[in-house]
Amino acid sequence: MDNIIEIKNVTYEYTEDEATHIAVKNLSLNIERGSFTVILGHNGSGKSTLAKMLNGLNKPTLGTILVDGINTLAEETEIEVKRRVGMVFQNPDNQLIASIVEEDVAFGPENLGLPPKEIRQRVDSALKAVGMEEFVSSTPHRLSGGQKQRIAIAGIIAMEPECLVLDEPTAMLDPKGRREIVDTLHKLNKEKGITVILITHYMEEAENADRVLVMNDGEIISDGKPHEVFQNVEMLKSVGLDVPQTTELLYALQKNGFKVNTNVISVTDTAREIKKVLEGV
Amino acid sequence: MLKDITFGQYYDATSVVHKCDPRVKILLMIAFIVLIFVSQNMFSLAFACVSVIFVLLISRVPIKLFLKNLKAIWVVLAFTAVINLFYSNTGKVLVSFWIVEITTGGVYRAVFMALRIILLIFISSVLTYTTTPNSLTDGIESLLSPLKYIGLKNAVHIFAMMMTIALRFIPTLIEEAEKIMNAQKARGADLENGSLVERVKALIPILIPLLISSVRRAYELAEAMECRCYNGGVGKTRMKQLTLSVSDLYAIIFIAVFTCGIIGLNIIF
Amino acid sequence: MAILEVRNLTHTYSGNSPFMNDAVKDVSFTVEKGEIIGIIGHTGSGKSTLVQHLNGLLKPTEGNVLFENEDIWENPKEIRKIRSKVGLVFQYPEYQLFEETVFKDISFGPRNMGLESEALENTVKEICGIVGVKPEFFEKSPFDLSGGEKRRVAIAGVMAMKPQVIVFDEPTAGLDPKGREDVMEIIRSYRKATNATVIIISHSMEDMAALADKVIVMNKGSLYMFGTAREVFSHSDELRKIGLNVPIVSQVFEALGLNNIPLTVDEAVEILKKRVGDNA
Repeated sequence: MDNIIEIKNVTYEYTEDEATHIAVKNLSLNIERGSFTVILGHNGSGKSTLAKMLNGLNKPTLGTILVDGINTLAEETEIEVKRRVGMVFQNPDNQLIASIVEEDVAFGPENLGLPPKEIRQRVDSALKAVGMEEFVSSTPHRLSGGQKQRIAIAGIIAMEPECLVLDEPTAMLDPKGRREIVDTLHKLNKEKGITVILITHYMEEAENADRVLVMNDGEIISDGKPHEVFQNVEMLKSVGLDVPQTTELLYALQKNGFKVNTNVISVTDTAREIKKVLEGV
Repeated sequence: MLKDITFGQYYDATSVVHKCDPRVKILLMIAFIVLIFVSQNMFSLAFACVSVIFVLLISRVPIKLFLKNLKAIWVVLAFTAVINLFYSNTGKVLVSFWIVEITTGGVYRAVFMALRIILLIFISSVLTYTTTPNSLTDGIESLLSPLKYIGLKNAVHIFAMMMTIALRFIPTLIEEAEKIMNAQKARGADLENGSLVERVKALIPILIPLLISSVRRAYELAEAMECRCYNGGVGKTRMKQLTLSVSDLYAIIFIAVFTCGIIGLNIIF
Repeated sequence: MAILEVRNLTHTYSGNSPFMNDAVKDVSFTVEKGEIIGIIGHTGSGKSTLVQHLNGLLKPTEGNVLFENEDIWENPKEIRKIRSKVGLVFQYPEYQLFEETVFKDISFGPRNMGLESEALENTVKEICGIVGVKPEFFEKSPFDLSGGEKRRVAIAGVMAMKPQVIVFDEPTAGLDPKGREDVMEIIRSYRKATNATVIIISHSMEDMAALADKVIVMNKGSLYMFGTAREVFSHSDELRKIGLNVPIVSQVFEALGLNNIPLTVDEAVEILKKRVGDNA
């Protein structure tokens, strides 16, 4: 299998108030090139720390992380790692550097020292990829949260990364903005073949992912297809997470003696599942 | 309201002024400012007025945006006018009470000085309304670039980066300050009444959260910049190269005519 | 009994500047004592502008806001008094924390109302008990707390003024599922302890369906719908027209083509149980 990221026995420790805390515990994980992975976990479960290790922003205390075969610990290849794994954070306001959309998107490619013509092309195509081409000369301050976040994504895409890591990019957005972002990510994944790793608190955003990981106390406690992971309703609730309301409904029905499968997530599939039961009677 | 401060904000439009090279615009603005100060009589100032209004009109920025900037500094304007009103005692006495006299010379001077300030505000607003903050920064960086040869290469870049970030975050911080103010008012904070000391004290619940959030923003921004391969500007290229165009030629011709006009009118009258 | 009444409220932001804000157009509704009102609508629909009128942070351009049948702007100099009667918790309230200790920060509101020494201390302690701020946190710096705990303290800071009406602008924004549940629990406890009227702006149709007695739908600055949660969520097509939706469980039942549309999972289970029972 072709892996873009290989994590081997990684531990991350940090010191706060003179005490050592372990944020990530002896974790091993491979991310397949071109896949769409969602990481779930409550605040403080270690998912942000893990995310920041993927592009070398955080360096593992123990173990190694290879990005496209490059060790993130090596100082001389730091830029190479950051170019391959782009990161988008929660607050779009704190990621935009310039006061004009196109100038902001150009920031990454400019830092890479590309020729002006190529930067121009990359900026235009990145804005198009996130559906923001008409805002090329707007000021980010006037845009909605979802639009700002799409600009932040464009700023990363313009560096033509292999992999996109997003740390709760939808936490501060309204439902419309959240949909915009998730749709954009699936589009980038399908059309450009960019590997996506999405960290979120919104369970429904995991619905169409290839793979869902659940983190708790610095460890991965569940790993599988979305419907497989969401079947463990009790386990998810015990680690401070939730399930989509469709799953909750099917689970509640099951508990009440209805013979339904709980391995579907979408509204249509759930309705079909219930229909089967109703017609079976 | 804080939101009324629009100074320093770019207004998107297509005009000759927008198209000019930022370096030319900065130099022209400096020239304008100098010339407005050297205009000594009503004729040269009137000529400056007409020229500035001409620039405002061709910039295609709504006039009310310029007027709004005046609103923000009306105190300064009024203060200058009043000081100058009493400063001069030439001409006919119009009003006199106690030891103060208002003369025609004073009125003339007050109007003259106020007009100068208005023109200064207008012409500098033209620069900020028609130039994106980033190209303004690029312009300044480019104009300061000779400093590189005296060993200040990094300083020029750092200065430019600081300007870019400051310009980007001014509206964000203004909005944030307003939000915090409202939140504290909702908790019963009294920001409008009380003695000077009380009012200064009332600012603490606003300034502390603002400071903390700015630090947080700075930290997050630094991380985001690192993720976008920023390494202090080493080997950085630019998408937008600064090149002179026809509009710049017009601008230079215009300023030449303007300069001759002001100096000519100063000498003639 | 009506505790809050909004009559033909219009708010236009000053001097039609090209940099516009969300306006509110001719909005009227009445809130009865003890009700839980949900407000839904898009970002920019005027929700936040609307709620800032309820405690006098904004003054209506036209129309009135009445608290217990009295216009809150009757005496503009006294407007600050309304702020302790109608509490407003802004989005991300933890960004307003500023004091050295949790206790001092929660005291800020009641102190502004003129409470002192023992009375102040008792009030703060009482609120901390209700919302679950543990005594060992009192002397901690609010900035050392976790995100969820900061929010708890910030909400306590508004509740400490003991408002009869408390308004929340997206109280769960940015929190993880556990944090969201904690905030909802804080709101429930406060209500239980004080019988306060609660108004919540939220994007979660599921939360609104489970919690709100009545729902206000805002669209482009106008009141689009106002009624009981059941009434409002029965108009799924109208809601979709303005980009909103009904709770997911209701969507499932719509897809099933059933007439009896539940608002919560519990209701859904009951409906299906009954149906199966009837058929058997």
